[in-house]
Amino acid sequence: MNGQVPEQPAEAFEERSRALFHDSVDGLDFALRSRLTQARNAAIDAASSSRPPWFSRIAVLAPAGVTAAAVLGAFLWLGSPMGQRAFTVADGQPNLDDLEIVASSDGGSTDALDMLQDDIEFYDWAERTANSGPAA
Amino acid sequence: MPRFDTLNPAWMLRDGPAPALEGAILEYTRELEKFLGEIERRAFRMAQVQLRNPDDALDVVQDAMLKLARNYASRPSAEWRPLFYRILENSIRDLQRRRSVRKRFMTWLPGMQQDPDNEAQDPLDTVADAAPAIPDVLMQGQAMQHLEVALRVLPARQREAFMLRNFEGMDVAETATAMGCSEGSVKTHYSRAVHSLREQLKEVW
Repeated sequence: MNGQVPEQPAEAFEERSRALFHDSVDGLDFALRSRLTQARNAAIDAASSSRPPWFSRIAVLAPAGVTAAAVLGAFLWLGSPMGQRAFTVADGQPNLDDLEIVASSDGGSTDALDMLQDDIEFYDWAERTANSGPAA
Repeated sequence: MPRFDTLNPAWMLRDGPAPALEGAILEYTRELEKFLGEIERRAFRMAQVQLRNPDDALDVVQDAMLKLARNYASRPSAEWRPLFYRILENSIRDLQRRRSVRKRFMTWLPGMQQDPDNEAQDPLDTVADAAPAIPDVLMQGQAMQHLEVALRVLPARQREAFMLRNFEGMDVAETATAMGCSEGSVKTHYSRAVHSLREQLKEVW
């Protein structure tokens, strides 16, 4: 007997290490398991409330793209012969009122004219109210 | 005039994701919950072996879960495990570095003496903390305790390779992804770790 401890094979050592580790995992107490569950739930909440990165990019880029397209369209339209005809009157001076009406219309020029009429009526009413003085 | 609230081209800005996208998010959220539920206890124990403090271990595991959920949940689920352990190891190292800095700072303060045992060959491997020991309730006998002590003596990369391969059961490719190194390096680290651990434990196992 030489007093030396017989060395176990590497595979046996690895298996024993793994088994010991998994036993220690199984032996975790209830309080720790509960805290781990809470941590997991917090992570899941974070995941479900967050959106994919491409999603937020679309949300930012979509309005920017619409604006850029509108500006480009305006430049192209004003640069075309048709746009020039609409933009000028017979004396060659730009008719900015027409452009303003077109640019400010959402559903068509009639809406813009309606708005203009509403404003005139409002200012008329406001002037009459101011001139009539305080109510008795 | 058209009303503003009937114009809803940017539904995603105000009303949340479309139903199809919401379904996809729900799907990977379920998968993620299952994944985290399977992995969390092992991850905690691996963090605890390195940090020795259960509260710190819990913190880094929670941090890794949150980072994975926020940044990588939409990645294929097969990538989650190496990604998770990579995040976890980075968090553990960050914490160990902070401890090391704090310990050095404390030794400069009047009345504080440097502990000669803290003169570490590798600060990442041997940083001590305030917790004296792992609670007995967490220990599975003397053998596991010896194994943990032996693991803490290993260089960080060897320890990491051993725990990922042996404890977590990851293959060489997954371990390489988790460690951010080549598969050859994983094999080398693991082989050296096994050799060193066997040497350390042959008298007590």
